[in-house]
Order: sequence, then structure tokens, then C-alpha cells
Amino acid sequence: MRVRERSAVAVLAVGLLMLTGACAEGGQGAPAASGDAPAASAEPYRPPTITVGTADDSRGPAIAPEGVVKGGTVTMIDRDDFAHFDPAQSYVNTATNFGLLIHRGLTGYKRVAKGDYRLVGDLATDPGTPSDGGKTWTFTLKDGVKWQDGSPITSEDVKWTIERSFASFITQGPTYIQQWLTETDHKKAYQGPYDGKRLDAVETPDDKTVVFKFKTPHADANYAFAMGGYAIVPKAKDTKEKYDKEPFSSGPYIIKSHIVDKSIDLERNPNWDAATDPIRGAYPDKWRMEFGQEALQITDRLIADAGPDQTTFTFYANVPPERLQQVLGDASLAPRLLKSPSPYGNYYYFNLDRVKDVKIRQAINHAWPAKQIQQLYGGPAAAALPTTILNENTTAGYEPYDLFGKTTKPEGDIAKAKELLAQSSNPNPTIVYAYNQTPLQEQITVAIKSSLEKAGIKVVAKPLDRKTYYDSIGLVKNDFDLYWGGWGADWPSGSTVLPVIFGPVADGAPNYAHLKDPALTEEMEKITAMTDLDEANAAWMALDKKVQETITPLVVAENRIANTLHGSKVGGAEIDPQFWIVSPNTIFVKP
Amino acid sequence: MWLRFRRDRTGMMSAVVVIFFFLVAALAPVISWVYGKDPYTLYGQDTPGLLNEYGYPVLPNGGVSSEFWFGIEPGLGRDVFTQLVFGIRTSLLIAAAATLLTVAIGIVMGIVAGYAGGRTDYAIGRLIDITLSFPATLFIIAFMPVVENVFVSPEEETPVWLRAVTLILMLTIFQWAGMARLLRGQVLSLREREFVEAARVTGASPTRIVFKELLPNLWTPILIQATLLLPALVTAEAALSFLGVGMIEPIPDWGRMFLRGTQVYQNDITYLVFPGAALVIFVIAFNLLGDSVRDAFDPKIKR
Repeated sequence: MRVRERSAVAVLAVGLLMLTGACAEGGQGAPAASGDAPAASAEPYRPPTITVGTADDSRGPAIAPEGVVKGGTVTMIDRDDFAHFDPAQSYVNTATNFGLLIHRGLTGYKRVAKGDYRLVGDLATDPGTPSDGGKTWTFTLKDGVKWQDGSPITSEDVKWTIERSFASFITQGPTYIQQWLTETDHKKAYQGPYDGKRLDAVETPDDKTVVFKFKTPHADANYAFAMGGYAIVPKAKDTKEKYDKEPFSSGPYIIKSHIVDKSIDLERNPNWDAATDPIRGAYPDKWRMEFGQEALQITDRLIADAGPDQTTFTFYANVPPERLQQVLGDASLAPRLLKSPSPYGNYYYFNLDRVKDVKIRQAINHAWPAKQIQQLYGGPAAAALPTTILNENTTAGYEPYDLFGKTTKPEGDIAKAKELLAQSSNPNPTIVYAYNQTPLQEQITVAIKSSLEKAGIKVVAKPLDRKTYYDSIGLVKNDFDLYWGGWGADWPSGSTVLPVIFGPVADGAPNYAHLKDPALTEEMEKITAMTDLDEANAAWMALDKKVQETITPLVVAENRIANTLHGSKVGGAEIDPQFWIVSPNTIFVKP
Repeated sequence: MWLRFRRDRTGMMSAVVVIFFFLVAALAPVISWVYGKDPYTLYGQDTPGLLNEYGYPVLPNGGVSSEFWFGIEPGLGRDVFTQLVFGIRTSLLIAAAATLLTVAIGIVMGIVAGYAGGRTDYAIGRLIDITLSFPATLFIIAFMPVVENVFVSPEEETPVWLRAVTLILMLTIFQWAGMARLLRGQVLSLREREFVEAARVTGASPTRIVFKELLPNLWTPILIQATLLLPALVTAEAALSFLGVGMIEPIPDWGRMFLRGTQVYQNDITYLVFPGAALVIFVIAFNLLGDSVRDAFDPKIKR
């Protein structure tokens, strides 16, 4: 999924108290020892385990968090409103996370315990039955699942959902299922059901059964159906483009009012039955969501924890670097602090059309000021320094490797970089580095520039507007050599990362490095077709290392660690390790 | 006039402060050379032990020490003292240039409007109205990226001079109108005075009337306006940098230091205090200087 950059931007929090505070406070640098920081979180972080559950696991209701209380109103504050309500248009984690409140899909992730998740049937009775070597997948719908008006959810609705995702107005959502059912250019093969044509590859033998017939085997198709983008849409209430504004609920809540970019109010959906839903707890009676505040303001409100803010939390607003020392150093905040490393892969991509010499790319990897950048984010408590393309938190069968000495010399090895540059075609190359113009990124650019210039690389920094950042770097014919980009696995497997970021080169496609290597493509196709998932995972890991070793199309970027606060009367708040956002499923309000 | 000014203690004090600031700005490279540090090196990141793992200075009071007089910047770890000195230089340079331009344009437009009268006066008057009613800050915020896109090829960084020149022009465009309107009023009243009438009757050319008769009588308001305009422009420039459309990293800038200060003040108030205090002192001193200059020129106004 495309990854929205977390905001660490403080805007206009001007306090004219500069003279009142004066120099009175001493020892501001207090927690200098590295031992101090982890005190806030007693147990070390351990990557989540995600396994495929059984039909038994797929029965409702959801497993309740400790001390759960039903009822009350919970408030959620965040910077941005959700861009889409139509599931087929939802790909960004913020949108799909909200979707959990109003939409249901065929499958989903059930939280069994902290860090232990199971893929279960959501509307389906189990996480699907493959046959024909993984080419055919059969799902049976549960009894008693209804739309918000009380009409039953049928297999026809599921078929319709998949069909409408081919329509021309659907531009944002995932495309895996569509491509598997037809071909890579799936919109050419089928244009949606609105002109009366139906898709034969999805069969509905009766009201409760739906059968998908893929062109090639896909052992992990049930994971794909768990994506928020494949949540279902009612055939009878489909309003095409307008559905994005007025969705019809199958989940536990209904949108009561929505003021764009300002607020959303949710109330209970009377036709949602907890007994059919293994995933959503839906404990509060009402949800109030407010948008438009920056992370710094949200953090200050949650630190203060005053009055109504006690029942407030945030889906996605992180503690910004400016408040990290204060928040992590304050033991009284520890019970209200959530921590989770990013499950996404973040990279500084080289534009291979412009930076052609692999020695230069490796030299930059060696000179990279990873530690300095980490410090600008707020230190080890705010960012980890990964060394692999695949993320350890979302990769089944993860194997670490370190090709560029990042664990031994995180501040960059200038001597080694100079040595490589001397062997390259140009010992003093110029690199055009494009960055998203936020205050933090500007500082990071200064650090990058300082380090690379020590190695003899001239850095030309180009600030890009933050609204159109991805559009600018997404152009195949861009004029930049190096730029940041994020990509998140859509389900825990290398098959949703490597074939995507090294996939087809096109404007807007996530292959920002413009890597075109037929041998690599062939290898990726071979691994995708593997039916043994463990074997495939090991193969992805080996390929990860091989790509970095032989081609070096990117610098692996720092991996942010989310530190999120919540109000003192909010219970069950937990960052979903896979989607890196506070899950609404377990939230409840303490009396 | 000079004697009257010398007797004004506040005036003299603020003049000294203002001159001090200008000297600091002018001698920034020398100061940096004597002090042995520059505003670009990332001391805190290159030398371990200066910043803690959150990126804040380890020493109290923002890392103030005999080596780093005003401490070090959180995060990047640059030297605050040289940053401030060079930041003052950037801001003053831009503000001074904009003031000069503003005054020049203001004088020309004001005198032309006041002296020519009629349609010219009407046209310039409406132009002044439009300029004054424009939301200046909003316009500049919207316009800066456009300038960059038009003038800078994507291959290169936006040159520092281009940003500076654009800023100066932008500030000038929105500031000249006030000056022009004030001078127009003055000229209108002077135009009807006997000595101007007399000059006209004796056949003096308009050039002579403007330069020899009108302008000497206008220097007082011009000087006063200019001394009040400069600190206003310094704060305006700082405000624009604060809003992210002024000078960008790594050019040191007063306003941007202030912005960073407001972000980190809860953990490192010192970083906010130095640029903040310097800015307050400078603006107050310059405003007081403006007042004193006016008093010196016009002793009849009693405070």
C-alpha cells in the first residue's frame, strides 16, 4: 500500500513565553544514557506472528481485551480526514482502518493476543478453501450477516464488489484480485458490471457460496481478500462514484454525519450482530472524530489529558521529535504510550536511468548518515536502522543481512565510500536529491548533504511540494537521482513488496528506481508461482539480498517507530503491528 | 538637530544597539573566523557526546559551554552563536535592501502623485489602494513556489540570490504604498504653500521645484518612515521564514531559528531564548531610534 508520510511537522505553535522561561531550567539534556529510554516499555518489541486460522476461529464474537466496558463515546483526533469511504478506493492504511468500523470483507485479521493475529473468515465461515492447486478459491458466507437496512448479505453482493472494482472510476484501490482473475492490464479485459456484462471468473452457485477462478495459482489469495480494498459493497445500494461519499454499512457503525475535513460522527448499526463477527469488538456506543490538528497539538492535548481529552485517542498522530524526550522521560505517561516499529519498507531510491554506475550507488550506501538521520527523527526510540529491503515486522521467514556496514558504522563509512568512488566512472559525481519539503526533511537533507560531500559527492537538493511529492517522483522522466519512497506489504509476504517496487516501470508506478532486469522479473515470477509458502518466503529473502548486492537500486531508509499517546480513559488501544495504526477493534471507554 | 538627538539618552542608547547589530551583521565572517566555528558544520553530529540520543544537547542550558557560547542546535548540532550572527546578517541584508527600494519607490510615486495631481494622482491613488488592500503574506506564500518553478531548472538548486531577490521584491511591492500615500499628502499641502507658488511664478522648472523646494521638506517624514520600516521588514522576513517561504536550509536565518525554537522550547528553551531575545532587542531599539529621530527633527511634539 502506498504509505503516507507521518507528520512530524509542527505548525504555528507560537508561544511568546521565551523570556518567562529564560535559562532557569538546567540539565535539559538529562536522559543521555541509552539505558534510560527503553525503561518506558518494559518488554522488548517482538514482530507479530500472523497465521491462517480455522473455521472455529472465524466464529464471533471477537476476543475482548482485558477489563472491557461497553458503551460511552470515544473521540478520535487526527490531522487528515479520510480520503475515501468506498472500499474499492481505499488503499492507504488510514482509510482501510476507518473502513473496519463500517465495512466487512470476506476475510480479516483477528487479534488473539498481543502480537498474535490470525487470518479468519469475516463474512465467510472460514478463511477460504483452495482447490485445483490454488487456482480456485471457495468461500461460504455466514448465516445472519446483514446490511444496515436488515437485508441479508449474499454471494451476489460479493461478486458485484469484485466486478465493480474494474469500473473506470475506481482508481485507487488494490488490483491483485482483478489481475489474477483476468490479466495484468485488467481494466482492458473487463470494464465493470454497469453495462450489463458480468465476470464469469467469479461464480455464485447459490446465495451463500462464491467461487473465484484465477488464471494462475495463488496460495495466498485469502490474505488478499483481507485487504480493506476488498470489503464488500451492496449491489442494490451501489451509487457508483457517489458511494465514495455515502457508503452503506455492513460493519458495526453507521456514519451519522460527516463534515469534510472537520468531523465524523458514528452511531451503532442495529443490524450488525457481534455473534457473526470474530474481528470487531465495537465497544463504544458512539464515535466522534475530529480532524485538522497537527501531531504536535494532538500530542500536547493528550499529554495534558484534561476533561474530554481523557476519552480521546488518535489513529495515526505520532509524538513528534520535539516532544519525544519529554514523553519518554515521563514515567507517568508510560501506561498511555503505544510503541510500534513501522511495518513498511522505506527507501531512498536511486533513479537507475540517471545513476548508472553501481559503484557510485554502493559508495552512497556506505557514506549514508543513517545514525545522524535517526537522531533527527528523535533517536533510537523514534527510528530503527534496518539493513534489508523486506521489513522484519511483516516478512514471514525474515533473515537479516548487512551489506553496507550499517550495524558497525551507522554514521557512515566515508573512507570506504571514497575507495569505491575511486574505482567508479566518476570519483566526484553530482547527485540531485529530491525531498518532501517539510522542516524535518529539510534538516535531514542538511545531514545527507554534509555526509555525502565529505565523501566527495556533490549534492543538489531539490525541495518538492508535499501535496504533489509522489506525483513528482512518480514520473518516469524525472530529473532527480535520489528520492525517498515508502511501500508497505499488503499481506505478510515478499510477494507484495519486491514484485511491486521492482515491477513495471510507468508514470506513478511504485518502481521508483526504474529497475528493468529481465532475469530478476523471471526470478520473481518463479517465486510468486511457488505453492509452498515457507519455501517462497525463504526465496524472497534470498532475492532481497541478491538485489542489494548486485544491483543496489536503493538505500534502505530508517524505519520509524510510532510513539502514540492516548487518553487515560481509553482502554484497549493498541497499534496494529501490520497496518501501523491504532486499531479501532479493541477500543473501549473506561467509566 | 544633532545636538537635540545627542541629549536624548534613549535615542543614543538605541542607536548604539542598532549600530552594534549592523556591525555584527557586516562582520559576521570575521566573527566566525575569530571564534573558530562556522554556521554550517554539524558539530553535534560529528562529535559524539554533545547531543543525547533524542538529539538534544547533553549539557544544561542548551549546551552552552566555553566552546559553544550560545549552545548547540538540537538535532543537527550546529553552533547557535554563528548561526545567529549569520542569521542576523541574512535578515538585515534582506530588510535593508527592501527598505531602500521601498523608500525610493515610495518617494517617486508619492511626489509624482502629489505634484502632478489630476488623472495621474487618481491612477496612482487607486494603485496604492489596491496594493494596500492585498493580503500580502498570503500572496507571498502562494507566489514563492511559482517563482521557483518558473526560474529554476529542475537540474539545479534554487540559487540563494534568487530567493533573496524575490523576497526583497515581494516585501517592496507590498510596502511602498504606505510610504507613497504619506508623501503624497505631504506634497499636496506643500504644493499650495507660498514658497512653491513663488518658485513657480519666477519660472522654476518642475525638476527644480521637486528637488530644491519639495524634497528638502520631505526628508523628515521619509527618515522617520524608513527607521520604522526597517524593523517591520526584519520581522516580516522572519515571519516569512517562519512560515516556510523565506530562506531555506542551510542558509542561516533569524526567522527559521525562531520557528525551530518554538518546536523544541519545552526541552530546550535556550535555543528559543537567544534568537528571540536578539530579535526583540533589535526591534525595540530600532523603533525607539525611530521615535528619537522624529523628536529630534520635530521638537514641537512633546511626549
